[in-house]
Amino acid sequence: MGPSRGIPSSGPYAGRAGSVAALSVVVAVVLGDAGVVTLALPEILRDFGAQVWGVAWVLIAFNLVLALTAVPAARVCVRRDPAVSTAGGVLGFAAATTLCAVAPSLGVLIGARAVQAAGGAVVIVGSLELLVEATGSERSGARRWAAAGVAGAALGPVIGGLLTSAFSWRTIFVVQIPMVLPALPAMLALRNRVTRGRENPDTSPDRPHVLANLALALLSAALTAALFLLVLLLVDGWRTTPAVAALAVTAVPVAALAAGPVFRGLRAGTRSEAIAGSVMIAGGLAGLALLPGDELVWTLAPQVLIGLGLGLSIDSLTAAALRDRIPRALYGGWTIAARHAGVVVGLAILTPIFTADLRHAEAPTKEAIASLVLDAPLPASTKLDLAEQLGRRLSAERGRVPDLRPAFKSLRVPATDAPAAAALEHGLQDQLTRAATRAFRTAFLVAAGLALLALGPALALRDRISS
Amino acid sequence: MRRLGLPLIAVLLVVAVLGVQLAAGGAHYTPVRPANPCARRPVPPIPAQLEPLAEQIVLLGLDDAACRLGISRERLVLALANAHTVSPRSSAALKAGLGDAVDRLDRDHRLPKVSQLLPEALAASNLPGIAKTIIEAIPDGAVDNLLPTGPLLRRTVDELDVNRLLHELHDPNQLGSALQSAILQAALREIVDRLRP
Repeated sequence: MGPSRGIPSSGPYAGRAGSVAALSVVVAVVLGDAGVVTLALPEILRDFGAQVWGVAWVLIAFNLVLALTAVPAARVCVRRDPAVSTAGGVLGFAAATTLCAVAPSLGVLIGARAVQAAGGAVVIVGSLELLVEATGSERSGARRWAAAGVAGAALGPVIGGLLTSAFSWRTIFVVQIPMVLPALPAMLALRNRVTRGRENPDTSPDRPHVLANLALALLSAALTAALFLLVLLLVDGWRTTPAVAALAVTAVPVAALAAGPVFRGLRAGTRSEAIAGSVMIAGGLAGLALLPGDELVWTLAPQVLIGLGLGLSIDSLTAAALRDRIPRALYGGWTIAARHAGVVVGLAILTPIFTADLRHAEAPTKEAIASLVLDAPLPASTKLDLAEQLGRRLSAERGRVPDLRPAFKSLRVPATDAPAAAALEHGLQDQLTRAATRAFRTAFLVAAGLALLALGPALALRDRISS
Repeated sequence: MRRLGLPLIAVLLVVAVLGVQLAAGGAHYTPVRPANPCARRPVPPIPAQLEPLAEQIVLLGLDDAACRLGISRERLVLALANAHTVSPRSSAALKAGLGDAVDRLDRDHRLPKVSQLLPEALAASNLPGIAKTIIEAIPDGAVDNLLPTGPLLRRTVDELDVNRLLHELHDPNQLGSALQSAILQAALREIVDRLRP
């Protein structure tokens, strides 16, 4: 940012550290909401007795509305005092979040999520202006804003999973309210402090940074796979509990937060960071497509790659998209719109791919199961009995990965055959996890392709060495 | 160089992770593929009991039938399990497959003698006690001469109602008694044929 567009600070600000922390938390909470319900979807589905496509809208509605309203919300923040607009956004967000927590039906929940996203859009873009003001530096404020967003996006599914496991999906929304409301005083304290030079969005000669926003959209679409598909694979495919899945996917946020301290010392520049980040995200997703087993440890290295790539690229691309652009709330709005449009596109592309692959996996899985049962060293009558019950389990859960354990629980086998029955049960579960893992492969590879596509705009970026 | 360093580190990290996963079999972590039904499977030792013998004949017969139909044994089994009636083509393939299985085991001298199977068959049958006593009194050699296992099972297969058998699949107890009854009937006819001048 040039001197004529210098940070509009109207003097030292006493509650700086507290305000920066409160604003960062609000940004993280709102952007974490984009994926916070990922691990809660099965429970929401059960609670409302809904269809899978309907429940997916709990996730889609938030991201879609956030993408559509981020730029208009930014225009509101630019025309009015961003402190007041952001405070209004927080109130709207908190009210909609309360409605989410007590939603009596899926329709109300989806509607409340849409309102929540609209309020969140104002909060996010307004917080950018306020963080710049509170930190006293555009670079520091923008970086803090981007980092809070990365932390929120990466931690959202984890925290949502843990809360769902420990309490219920409604808790996800309950805990957000006391996290966002304390930021109100900090926001109101910044009233009339954000001064503007030439900040009319209608007359600004600046245009959104197309390359950086395009790369952000493509990487966000790819990251959807990491945070959404991986969680589905762990919970539905590998039968991991939501709590364990949530803990397992903490590798992404931990690595994302470590990316800065680990790599920024290299001072490679925003372009190199964006390129390296895209390569790591693509590589991590390819790693998830090539898992050699169903042990959680195999997901760690790919997750670390994705996390490091996320930390490097989103931060750098956001900085590139905002650099020297005034009004920054408007261009921050464009980055949010690009990222969440990317999430929606990612869901739209990847969900049909993995659901179709899951359906196509049904026949070969049944054949693999039949093969193991036919060749099992068990009496023929036991095998016939088991085949009957397995058939019922498989037909009962069409389109989902079945749980075969109940078929074995009700099986009566002589003590001498118990080890063979246990080995068969283990073998069949292994076939199911293999089939589920294989069914996610194409979606992960397509997501890796989306991350590689982001290399195009990243390579075309003008470089600037980060400090 | 500084600008190339970070992307180079990224590429090296990705190559290392993917290399380890591929070396550990990441490309092949898929469900087992059904074996080629036309390739001969090794036959495990068959105890001199009706159920293991019937199972081995059925397994070999399914392979043979699937090979004739050009599908995997597993696909044939799943199709049979879900079908209410069997097409004439599948039924013929099954009968031919079961017959070939009996012939193979007979050729390889893997079939137990009827005298070895008789006590179990009699215990499970609903013959009157006096009949059981008389049959048990017949020397094993005479039983085996009168009823060689191969021809007896071949006859059983020839007279088998495949549709009825598949209908009984849903109840293993009924299936067992249906099979024993089929074998007994075939045995009686075989005895009558052999005693006939």
